[in-house]
Amino acid sequence: MDDITRCLEAVIFISPRPVATDELAAACEASGELVMGALGTLAAEYSARRHGIELTEVAGGYTFRVTSDCEAPVERFAGARRPDDLSPALLETLAVVAYLQPTTRAEVAQIRGVSSEWALTSLVERGLVDERGRADTPGSPILYATSARFLQLFGLRGLGDLDALESFALSAAETDELRARLLANAERRRP
Amino acid sequence: MGSLDGLHLDLDVFDGPFDLLVTLILRDEVDLWEIRVSRIVAEYILRLAESEEFDLEATSHFIVLVAALLEMKSRRLLDAGSPFVDELAELDEQAAGEELLDSLLRFARFKGAAARLGCLFAEHAGRLYRTAPVPPRFLRAASAGPALPAAALAGALAVLLAEPPAPDVSHITDIAVTLVAELRRLRDLLAAERSFTFSAVAPRDRLQKAVTFFALLELHNRGEVSLRQPRPFAEITVTRTDTPGGADGRPDDALAAVG
Repeated sequence: MDDITRCLEAVIFISPRPVATDELAAACEASGELVMGALGTLAAEYSARRHGIELTEVAGGYTFRVTSDCEAPVERFAGARRPDDLSPALLETLAVVAYLQPTTRAEVAQIRGVSSEWALTSLVERGLVDERGRADTPGSPILYATSARFLQLFGLRGLGDLDALESFALSAAETDELRARLLANAERRRP
Repeated sequence: MGSLDGLHLDLDVFDGPFDLLVTLILRDEVDLWEIRVSRIVAEYILRLAESEEFDLEATSHFIVLVAALLEMKSRRLLDAGSPFVDELAELDEQAAGEELLDSLLRFARFKGAAARLGCLFAEHAGRLYRTAPVPPRFLRAASAGPALPAAALAGALAVLLAEPPAPDVSHITDIAVTLVAELRRLRDLLAAERSFTFSAVAPRDRLQKAVTFFALLELHNRGEVSLRQPRPFAEITVTRTDTPGGADGRPDDALAAVG
């Protein structure tokens, strides 16, 4: 490995959080282009199954993580525990916040059709969602947005990695079926 | 100064004075569903505990307003007479169906996104990232020392700490009608005239109109008037009931019963 690659390795190794490329460039006093090339070299070095760690890009920067085949001994050693699973209600609330952020509790409740106070509180407690000030609307409600921990736990480099919301839209056939079911329900309830 | 003045609420969906919250709710600019009344009461009790004097009138006023909020909230749970249900009734069936379908389609997208997030979580949440803190000897050395003299720093901070001038609120008027005053005014009107309509005696301002309405309910509870409304949102006719201890000679501080 050349000097710049070794420098990047040292900075990423010592950082407790993912390091952005511009931070790497500043620390190593190198151009962004040089850093990107060196990162490629470093990633190749760590992807050759010669190490128990690998280089990964997540949450807006580069960091090392344990390779999946070495996780068990590390968990035994460090007592690391997988985060608790997220219920469907929490995932729905998280999806609304992730796509509409910054958003308010009222907006989340409007989309889900139910009060989302507990779900938002729970997501804040888990560190997946942060409060981001208050909206400039009547009542100045609290604004919520996803955190860096969210990106890390979901393996996302940034919010741009989220699939487009439109890709989850129901197909024309599914929409027609839903409309037909609504109409059938309305007919049944008609006095 | 009444204890309600300056009761500042820091709720999830609202940050500001209690009076403003009530106004925004009455104007439908803040959704009552999103307000936890218990938090408001807790804030008020805290304020009462901190306050050295107990203002009976302000506390009674607070109880009446909070009771009204609870009543409004509970009314929305009921089908009959609910403005929400009336709104739905007015909605064209076809339009209502399309609106519901739009909401469901919009929600379906987020539900799909949630399922995708669930897959990502299952795949990535267990990964172990480097989390060890930076060894202290590698931390950037603490500031090499202030570049400015302490006096300059103090001077700069003093500017930041100075109280800003109070905003001019002279154009904002206080609520001119209190429940006690309104009870008195209505009793005077009833003494002069046996029957009148709500709209004939209610002020134009919505909040003041609400106070008039509460006052009428209070008179009705006390058996001093009968209220008649042929259908929801129709005109309310107020008629004096000629029972002993009615409109004449009754102590006018109805809030004494509340407080």
